[in-house]
Amino acid sequence: MQPQDRERPAGGLTRRRFLQAGVAGATGLALSGVGGWLKQALAQLPPGSYNPQLQLSFPVEPGASLRILRWSQFVSTDQPTYERMAQDFTRRTGVPVRLEYEAWPDVQPKAAAAANVGAGPDIVLGFFDEPHLWPDKLVPVTDLADYLGRKYGGWFPVAPQYGHSAQMGEWIAVPIGAPGSCLNYRMSWVKEAGFDPDPAKFPKTTDEFLRLCRSLKSRGHPTGFALGKAVGDANSWCHWLLWTFGAHAVGPDNTTITLNAPETVNALEYGRQLFETMIPGVAGWLDPNNNRAFLAGEVALTNNGISIYFAAKNDFPEVAADMNHAVYPQGPAGRPTELHSFSQAYIFKYTRYPNAAKEFLRFMMEDPQYPRWINAMLGYVSHPLRAFTNLAVWRSDPKAVPFRDAVARMLPHSYQGTPGPKSARALAEFVIVDMVADALTGRRSVRDAILAAEARLKRIYEG
Amino acid sequence: MRRSALTSTLTFYLPLWAFLVLLLFPFYWMLVTAVRPNKELYNLSLNQLWTSHPTLQHFQKLLFATHFAPWLQNTMLIALGATVLALSCAVFAAYAVQRLRFRGSGVIGVAIFLSYLVPPVILFIPLARIINELGLWDRPAALILTYPTFLIPFATWLLMGYFKSIPVELEDCARIDGATRVQVLRHILLPLALPGILSALIFSFTLSWNEYLYALVFLSSTGSKTIPVGLATELITGDVFQWGPLMAGALLGSVPVALIYSFFVEHYVAGLTGALKE
Repeated sequence: MQPQDRERPAGGLTRRRFLQAGVAGATGLALSGVGGWLKQALAQLPPGSYNPQLQLSFPVEPGASLRILRWSQFVSTDQPTYERMAQDFTRRTGVPVRLEYEAWPDVQPKAAAAANVGAGPDIVLGFFDEPHLWPDKLVPVTDLADYLGRKYGGWFPVAPQYGHSAQMGEWIAVPIGAPGSCLNYRMSWVKEAGFDPDPAKFPKTTDEFLRLCRSLKSRGHPTGFALGKAVGDANSWCHWLLWTFGAHAVGPDNTTITLNAPETVNALEYGRQLFETMIPGVAGWLDPNNNRAFLAGEVALTNNGISIYFAAKNDFPEVAADMNHAVYPQGPAGRPTELHSFSQAYIFKYTRYPNAAKEFLRFMMEDPQYPRWINAMLGYVSHPLRAFTNLAVWRSDPKAVPFRDAVARMLPHSYQGTPGPKSARALAEFVIVDMVADALTGRRSVRDAILAAEARLKRIYEG
Repeated sequence: MRRSALTSTLTFYLPLWAFLVLLLFPFYWMLVTAVRPNKELYNLSLNQLWTSHPTLQHFQKLLFATHFAPWLQNTMLIALGATVLALSCAVFAAYAVQRLRFRGSGVIGVAIFLSYLVPPVILFIPLARIINELGLWDRPAALILTYPTFLIPFATWLLMGYFKSIPVELEDCARIDGATRVQVLRHILLPLALPGILSALIFSFTLSWNEYLYALVFLSSTGSKTIPVGLATELITGDVFQWGPLMAGALLGSVPVALIYSFFVEHYVAGLTGALKE
């Protein structure tokens, strides 16, 4: 049995893997008894394996009811599916669930008020550092996170970085997934520029990518990457630019500011060359601007979630037919270094029904609920658990495939540090985006842009 | 004569028309965007200031696929409630500071105005605690009680200035004739200060109508939201702004405020400039 459509996930249970697990299981049985066997066997299973025999449930408190605050839908099929799943949960457990929605940047202020007041929603589905802003006010969910990880083939590396709190020594949030960002491009124009429009053959290195952008620009098809206060798009591509050249804002100690380095200079110098291929006006672009420019045919290439594609399928079928997606190329870092808006669910300690809340999250993250939800969102959100790699949505439309592994390819925005109040502030103040924008638009020299950003980071991290 | 016409055109009508265009353009833009089909909204090669295929689909979506009607009702209730409450307090506060001249009244007058400068983002968490303790979460009363925290200071400051422009001798005469302070306030000061009160009313109503942060934090369920928060929640989906319904909502949402302005505009101007001169 496999998640959702009963098809085998990538890295699923082959005969060889079954034998490996069996050998591990037999050894474990001999060594540590039945209880230890299960743990050992699962530890030996290859990443991505689905282990349906594992079961967990939390005893729901009598008379429990839940209030859940979450981000409003990115695609119109999201909320109805989520609500149906919540109704299923109510039918099974008798726990009434009230869902409240806010635009995704507005979840945090509501959660902040709830955390400080000690009243409000029992569960919040938020983004990025939110749980790390009030870790002591959250119900630990280590048991649930461990269970999900073991049952569904393990979490992708970024998941524990966001979900686990070093301060509390526990998981404080359950990773939900990330609306991934990829390169959106017009296939005919890429072909016209002399490059293969097949996503598999899209430029893999930053040098080749720059050649493509220059070629597009020379043919009257500029690129466009947001350099305004675009929470999703600007943060996404500016952090990629920094990281793919081996640069980072802060060291692993969460204190040392490491931005002022030759790698950062290289990233910004490269960015300046890329900027020459962009359409005028990107310095003021917010999240919706590139959607509109791409759909209007003003730009041939931008970075975005899958939302442009869905808008195109609804209203501009000719654009939808001519566009495709590819993953970001890699620079000297030589590995994927992407940033996506990572979402996770957390439970406030003031809830009177912590078990009901955990049971709700367990239910929603399990097969078949979670796959049903992700499939309904048509690829807008990428999964954090390895076993969900082969869901129907990732096979139904080849143009959605580059978004599939977004979580697997991403780093936390706090990289090389850990998520917390300081990295939250740095992100909220657009320190990296401002630096890139200053350097690329010529408002500041590369050196001055780095120094200004470094000073801001020092105020945040050392202040 | 001809020269005079030219001069008046250059110095009066031209700036007037330029000013009008500047002020009315956002409304025109809202209207055009609200009636343009999506295909035209995303086709930048077309004339952005006109549409050859007007549609009501965005209004239809706004009115029938969102909770716009309850949002409108909530916003009206909250704006009216907060305005009445704030003005009731501000009239007495302004009168006390301006006319009673007790010790420290000047300092209090300045302090009231300074409290207007405290940004809501600092206040929303302590206020949230109070709202929670009062059991008012997700109720219009939460905002009706919260909005006066920024409405009263400005309305008081505005009315203080207006009361100051009313000759104190009028009150003295009434007092000599045996009127109490309350009677002076009711029969002399308030009628004379009506333009100032109306301008404070318009100001308070507009601020309450447009407020975002408190409405976002204190109201939760979809049907209990106000127009600004409701539109952002249901019509901004990730990075896709549904411009047509959003502009339709902005247009319909601005109608009540525009109506109030149009009814009281003379009083509003008089209130801001001071109608009575000694």
